[in-house]
Amino acid sequence: MTQAKLSLLQCQVVEEELPMSLPELCRACNADAALVQQLVEHGVLEPQGATPQLWVFAGASLRRTRVALRLLRDLELNLPGAALAVDLLDEIARLQRMLQGLQRE
Amino acid sequence: MEFKDYYQTLGVARDASADDIKHAYRRLARKYHPDLNKGAEAEARFKEVGEAYEVLKDPEKRAAYDDVGKRWQPGGGQPPPGWDSGYEFRGGDADFGGFGAEHSDFFEALFGRARAQAQRRAPPRAQDHHAKVMIDLADAYRGASRSIRLQVPALDAHGRVVLSERTLDVAIPVGVREGQHLRLAGQGALGLDGGPAGDLYLEIVFRPHARYRVDGRDVFVELPVAPWEAALGAGIDVPLPDGSAVQLSVPAGSGAGRKLRLKGKGIPGKTPGDLYVQLQVVVPAPGDEPQRQAWRDLARMHRDFDPRADQGGT
Repeated sequence: MTQAKLSLLQCQVVEEELPMSLPELCRACNADAALVQQLVEHGVLEPQGATPQLWVFAGASLRRTRVALRLLRDLELNLPGAALAVDLLDEIARLQRMLQGLQRE
Repeated sequence: MEFKDYYQTLGVARDASADDIKHAYRRLARKYHPDLNKGAEAEARFKEVGEAYEVLKDPEKRAAYDDVGKRWQPGGGQPPPGWDSGYEFRGGDADFGGFGAEHSDFFEALFGRARAQAQRRAPPRAQDHHAKVMIDLADAYRGASRSIRLQVPALDAHGRVVLSERTLDVAIPVGVREGQHLRLAGQGALGLDGGPAGDLYLEIVFRPHARYRVDGRDVFVELPVAPWEAALGAGIDVPLPDGSAVQLSVPAGSGAGRKLRLKGKGIPGKTPGDLYVQLQVVVPAPGDEPQRQAWRDLARMHRDFDPRADQGGT
């Protein structure tokens, strides 16, 4: 009973505390660096920093990268198509939240 | 074990061309992809479609599958002898992180070895794993500990992939929001060849709540009030998702639907969210004669009041 408490695992909230470097993001998404660089080129990800070595990705990049990778693989999309879909999905989510709010008014 | 009709899953004929199969898959994948369709059955359907495509797009696997299909006893439910042996596959890239990761028992029995082979080629660096964890809104207010059971793929003594169950007790931090990810360092796949273990990422999903609605860090709730509370103003206790309560001062002359903000009473954090309270005026059903008379008196006292004044016409 107490053992469970002793082994309680602490964690970090990626979106709040974990800006990631290119290798860290690649590892977190099981993606290779070339593909993540292409996602940057297509505007799916917007890291801070001038060169890939200096890139710092905000925590929210994790979700966008994973969605893009799933769409590329599962729907056999090309990069511009996946980039467009990721943006549109975020826009749909934003509008749905707005609509939910309006329906309550 | 049940025979899986992959042709039926994709809605194609048994002699469908590779192009037909690709088109059918793409159409169904777009329809059921969990990133595009949040419906409850979509993910299960997508997995079936993905599994069917994985077999039918690969000429070798398709041939093996067709062969098994021809020998399968209709209605018998028993696989033909030796049905799952003798097929050698190079195996695609094993990926346990995506939606297409899980296969049916049927697929495992027929193509299981392909996954094991793919795993053996895995890079020495351990994979990071991803899973979802469902919490209550109250957990985001108070923090919580959650036991999470994970199905973890591992290699057994024969180099075959088996799923073993692992339980983790995780501290859910105060202030976590829907869609955020928790990172548990070193709790992913075990390192191969003595390498460091990968990390585990847990995506936060909120269990839907009957009363509260959440948008980012802000929380919304409807608060029923009596007509006189709305008219005269009142101090009303508003329950918070964590079980505590906070007093809300309803200003006199508040109409139904008025939105009041309790600053900082949303999801806690460095920048805490706000709690938006929307007033819902509840009218009591007039009961006995004195109560009805009271409403009539109220009407007489408000002869000039026209609730439809701004609707145009009369």
